[in-house]
Amino acid sequence: MVASGNSSNRLRLSAPVYCACVALVTTLGVGVAMLLRPALAYSIRSVVGLEKPPQAAPGSFYTVRVAPLFKEHCIGCHGKSRHKAELRLDSLTGAMRGGKHGAVILAGNLKGSELVTRLTLPPGNDKAMPPSGKPPMSADEVTVIKLWIAAGASGALPVAAIKGAPAPVPKIEFPEIDEASVARARAPLAPMVKQLQARFPGVLSYESRSSADVQINASLLGRSFGDKEFAALASVRERIVWADLSGTSISDASALTLAECKHLRTLRLANTGVTDPTAQALMSLSALKSLTVVGTSLTESHLATLRSKGVRVYDGHETSSNSNATS
Amino acid sequence: MKTPRDLDVKIDEELQRQLLQAQTRRHFLQTCTSGLGALFLGAAAQKALSKDGGPPRLDFTRAPAQPLAALPPQFTAKARRVIYLHMAGAPSQLELFDHKPVLTQFDGKDCPASFMTGKRFAFITGIPKLMGTRFPFHQAGKSGAWISDRLPRLEKHIDDLCFIKSVHTDQFNHAPAQLLVQTGNARLGYPSLGSWVTYGLGTENQNLPGFIVLLSGGKTPDGGKQLWGSGFLPSVYQGVQCRSHGEPVLYLNNPPEISRPLRRRMLDAIDDINHQTHSNFGNPETISRIAQYEMAFRMQLDATDALDIRHEPAAMQALYGAKPGEASFANNCLVARRLAERDVRFIQLYHWGWDSHGDSEFYSLNVGFTDRCREIDQPIAALLADLKSRGMLDDTLVVWGGEFGRTSMRENRSGQQNPYAGRDHNPSAFTIWMAGGGVKGGMSYGETDDLGYEAVKDPVEIRDLHATMLYQLGFDHHKLNYPYQGLDQKLTGVKPARVVAQILA
Repeated sequence: MVASGNSSNRLRLSAPVYCACVALVTTLGVGVAMLLRPALAYSIRSVVGLEKPPQAAPGSFYTVRVAPLFKEHCIGCHGKSRHKAELRLDSLTGAMRGGKHGAVILAGNLKGSELVTRLTLPPGNDKAMPPSGKPPMSADEVTVIKLWIAAGASGALPVAAIKGAPAPVPKIEFPEIDEASVARARAPLAPMVKQLQARFPGVLSYESRSSADVQINASLLGRSFGDKEFAALASVRERIVWADLSGTSISDASALTLAECKHLRTLRLANTGVTDPTAQALMSLSALKSLTVVGTSLTESHLATLRSKGVRVYDGHETSSNSNATS
Repeated sequence: MKTPRDLDVKIDEELQRQLLQAQTRRHFLQTCTSGLGALFLGAAAQKALSKDGGPPRLDFTRAPAQPLAALPPQFTAKARRVIYLHMAGAPSQLELFDHKPVLTQFDGKDCPASFMTGKRFAFITGIPKLMGTRFPFHQAGKSGAWISDRLPRLEKHIDDLCFIKSVHTDQFNHAPAQLLVQTGNARLGYPSLGSWVTYGLGTENQNLPGFIVLLSGGKTPDGGKQLWGSGFLPSVYQGVQCRSHGEPVLYLNNPPEISRPLRRRMLDAIDDINHQTHSNFGNPETISRIAQYEMAFRMQLDATDALDIRHEPAAMQALYGAKPGEASFANNCLVARRLAERDVRFIQLYHWGWDSHGDSEFYSLNVGFTDRCREIDQPIAALLADLKSRGMLDDTLVVWGGEFGRTSMRENRSGQQNPYAGRDHNPSAFTIWMAGGGVKGGMSYGETDDLGYEAVKDPVEIRDLHATMLYQLGFDHHKLNYPYQGLDQKLTGVKPARVVAQILA
């Protein structure tokens, strides 16, 4: 009975007023939360449609230049698995939404963007990002992010729209050598390569441990290496990418065989007896990039044709940029 | 009569017997716990590795008698060989390549205190004065790179050079700093860059060493022979020092009364004994020794020819400024080209005398430094031109640099300014350049501050340089390993090293 007595003493609210009160308190609560937690405000605004979640277009400056930097330097702590300070940088939405203390990127406002502040703090500072012990962002990388924010931090702006961005750093990767696939690629000619390696020790080798292409360095054998020997090596001609035949007794008799080394990129024929028929034969080598003919009697007209096909021809004459070296 | 073979066996048996006698039951029990533990751990580790496959390791084993046999690189290489021009004593970057007009404005002013705190100097004490560059700078080539007037001939090749202006080190004395540059470690006992490269790639020309060292400037660099030592790698990978005047390799030629066949018979006899020793003791260094005798025999013909610049036409000698019979940097540059042509893998030149403190005329910027510049200017220009005209600059990586930089301050000692203009050692910034070997020509990478005192933009560690050089030679620097002291040792050590991708063509 005590309970019923208590309830009768309480202020009685009609249902609509009660509902209105609850709604007011909730709105106030959410409002305060939104004030205190800007990230929440952002989420709520985007849920009710006030904030359009930014879209990252393929080929945009963000996708091509900025996102890879976030991926490399930031998402270990601000990504899918961990989101320190409630900040996620693994999507444009996350980046624009910000973290516990609000937006970290203010479009067009470098000074106000916390992200820029953190990236540019001196390395020893507690608040500097990436934190000490992690590889720092290079000056160029920070510049890329700054340029993007200054230009409006958009996900749509194409790469070419932002001028003056430092060139991206080529990515150096060290793929593991897939021994099985290398062995497969080498298999058709492997017995032949082995046999030739035994016959010409040190002359024939694979270009690398991850390649089935071969190179031949016959210059080590000097005059004792000639057309006959080259013909023997030519059984692997489709795999030869690099050949140094300098100082050997090779002659124009090998011209046709040379012309069949379709993948030859570099050919050195210094101090050999080859003449124009060889140069003629080389015209058909579309992969040829570099040709050395120092000490041969190839005529300039043929060499000029090769040059015009994009082959760097070295004939012992100094090229234009060093023509004054002897003066 | 006892043959040497009997004697060996006797010694062997005797050692075996003594060892067994030393093993008491207590001894056995004492060691067997740790021994068994080690066995277990070894087996477990092996199993764990084989189970998840582990990263495959590169195999560098070769036939014992062919320790220098060529091996393919890990990936397609941009550079096939290296010519490293080390300027021992550390040339001033502020007088050659690092143009600092602001420093010139502050010439003669007291050095800011912030420059001195936390720094150690070889000689500077008290408050030194800032000193602007002693020589005028100008821009050159299509790239517009800045260069002083000291190297007018090298300047013609400026569009082939890639300057790294933000190299820094943590060593401020010559010997450890040279060791750091050449072995990746400031302490003794580590293999040099050339040794690592020869170990990884071997050498194609079996009639010459794979790693040759040439000295000039009148003095061995402070780091000593350890700079081209093989450290814990087999000694066959150490650099072979050749002399640039007189006999290139001492005692290489047969004395007049010894004919080549007689020498061969002698070597065969030594070979026999060495093989016996090896079968008894199994020390791989014995095989190294046999291989070295054999190489010396082959070198008697080839090295003498390769190292003799009298075989070069007079015009070529004149291009380099080389004079047969002299011990000069010019001669060494010409020899370097001859060696590169013969597929020597790593050619290391040291030119001594760059330690421009200003304490004497020789070690001054006004006199000694200028002389050194004159000594290297024409030969390096000629080397680059020569390599280029022969199509060899594309696959030869040429590196030029010292072991640290020099201070933005004029050196003073105990409050007294040195009699000549000079600068103290500065580990915080120096310039190294590379050319050829797949490196971008006509570019500068990294920057120092306005006074040229510290590397501020894109700093490059010595280990980054090493990683980059190995990359150009076709290696992931993590994978060029040698197992030693329980670790897969590598040139770049344990701290993270990066390939400086920005400078690669």
